[in-house]
Amino acid sequence: MLKINNLNATIDNKSILNGLSLDINPGQVHAIMGPNGSGKSTLSNILSGKKGYEVSGEVLFEEKDLLELETEERAHKGIFLAFQYPLEIPGVNTNIFLKTSLNAVRKARGEKELDAIEFLKLVKEKSKKLKFDEEKLNRQLNVGFSGGEKKKNEILQMSLLDPKLSILDETDSGLDIDALKVVADGVNTLRDKNNAFLIITHYQRLLDYIKPDFVHVLMNGKIVKSGGPDLALELEKKGYENFN
Amino acid sequence: MKEQLKKDFDNNIKNLNLSQKDIEIKKFCLDNFIEKGFPNRKEEDWKFSDLNQLIKNNIGELSFYNDHTSTNKVDTSVFVDGLEHNKIVFINGRIEKIDFEYEKKDQIEIIDQSETINEFKNSNSLSDLNNAFTNKCFKILVKKGYQLIKPLIIYHSINSKIWSKNINLRLNFELDKDSSLRLIDLFSDTSEKNFLNIFYNFELKENAVLKNYKVDKFENKNIKYSFNNIDQDKNSVSETFILSSGSKFFKNEINCNLNGEYSSAFVNGIFSLNNDKHHEIRTIINHLTKNTKSYQLIKSVLEESSKAVYQGKIFVNSDAQKTDGYQLSKAILLNKESEFNAKPELEIYADDVKCSHGSASGSLNEDSIFYLMSRGLNYQQSRELLINGFLLDVVEKITDSQIKNLIKNMIGIKE
Repeated sequence: MLKINNLNATIDNKSILNGLSLDINPGQVHAIMGPNGSGKSTLSNILSGKKGYEVSGEVLFEEKDLLELETEERAHKGIFLAFQYPLEIPGVNTNIFLKTSLNAVRKARGEKELDAIEFLKLVKEKSKKLKFDEEKLNRQLNVGFSGGEKKKNEILQMSLLDPKLSILDETDSGLDIDALKVVADGVNTLRDKNNAFLIITHYQRLLDYIKPDFVHVLMNGKIVKSGGPDLALELEKKGYENFN
Repeated sequence: MKEQLKKDFDNNIKNLNLSQKDIEIKKFCLDNFIEKGFPNRKEEDWKFSDLNQLIKNNIGELSFYNDHTSTNKVDTSVFVDGLEHNKIVFINGRIEKIDFEYEKKDQIEIIDQSETINEFKNSNSLSDLNNAFTNKCFKILVKKGYQLIKPLIIYHSINSKIWSKNINLRLNFELDKDSSLRLIDLFSDTSEKNFLNIFYNFELKENAVLKNYKVDKFENKNIKYSFNNIDQDKNSVSETFILSSGSKFFKNEINCNLNGEYSSAFVNGIFSLNNDKHHEIRTIINHLTKNTKSYQLIKSVLEESSKAVYQGKIFVNSDAQKTDGYQLSKAILLNKESEFNAKPELEIYADDVKCSHGSASGSLNEDSIFYLMSRGLNYQQSRELLINGFLLDVVEKITDSQIKNLIKNMIGIKE
């Protein structure tokens, strides 16, 4: 599904990714762990199309060159980034944003756009599953939301857009244990043999709730070690220093 | 210009049935204008908007005579649909229609005040020009305790045969005790390169409520000035909302005197400008007695090489204790050529007051755009959503829900 081959990225002449390679197949959950500044967020930004990076190397998504696509085209093709810091957008009603987003993606995929009633039914059902307070949907997007609510809102968007590849950028940071479970449940119910997840995290904790198939250690912009779920436990014990 | 003014003035006077004294007064105003000319940047109030230069560059030579001897046909297609309303129609500055069809006839009086002139403190040479050339002036008097059932829309139309003209008009309003009026000024211009000079005077008696909405939405190449003097007695409320967008140049001036205790004034506005448009809002709020309140919020979205100016003054008299004055302006500049100028002025002579002001300008937040695009919205959709979101809280300040929806539709804010 996703093939990253020798990816290099610099920003303001500072090199962040140095020859990163990674393959993700449908049905898999990959976790990337690494210390601060190792390039985790840069990787998720580049995959979802944020501007401002000098990029070389190859990224194929379903055999097509991903780096050539605009941000919104990547979303249409099924890439979703759950933000580490979801943005507050004053004056934009959450429901209207969600409907605009869902219909933009549906339209691009050649599916029928949902009318207001169909949409409300769907969003109601999805938010119930995520224990997301429906009243929040009538508020301005992420404005005045707690850290946990913002992250739940990201997972709600993910479940609405039904992406093929979901990238979770430190979704666990700032979550209490109950919110963490809700978010993990949300991810687990979406898991199936056709989609894949890339989970970026500092800590092993989230991986207790979302079982990864592969764990990768990212240091100085490249993957220095890959393994099974046990690698996360090993990391937790030994710290990142031993991998340098 | 001097010869043209004199010639046009004489032609105009010929058509009017004025006493020698009234002619003398108008002549005096004309001479004042000739002496001062159009306001220019040397005057503090016009330092960001040199009207003299703007007229020179965009119109060239103006003429001042308008034939008001025959009626103009009212184009009913410009009337707002889906909102029942009373109407006043100006065409080329001539009053063609005054129609309070939804109101009790004995509760509104229309008084001919053509023989009077504007005499405002703080007024400039445009007031003299207006006095010299306005032919008719009416006062709309809303009687004690009467609250108009429907809003009043004043249509300002200029038909396409008119260009390079100066058009002057005046209206006075008196809202007696406990009365209320909702007013919308709507501009529909089918002609180009004219200079419109409008003077309104509002007198609000005790408990009166004025909602004063100014909508300049449709693209046109005219230059406009609108002066609004608002005098407020005890407990009265004035709410002004300005949508400043369509004209080449538009300066709205709000001069508000809070004379009575517990009176309050709200001025909210949006500049939504493109091309090389240049608009200004100038406010002077005079807190003249204790326990009065004013609130101002101005937001701008500026494209290309457009320019917006907000000069907001809060004056607090020495016996105006417990004054509450607030003003804030925010601008989004979408192009490096666009420009926003804010000049807040606080002049305070009382010691127990609460006054604050703030101003901020910047570009669209790229991270927010990235966030929205990562959810499948294209750049245009993301930008629109952010801009509408930015403007929403000003529109939400409109307290009349029908008119709020009308203006939301005009700006393209969807519910």
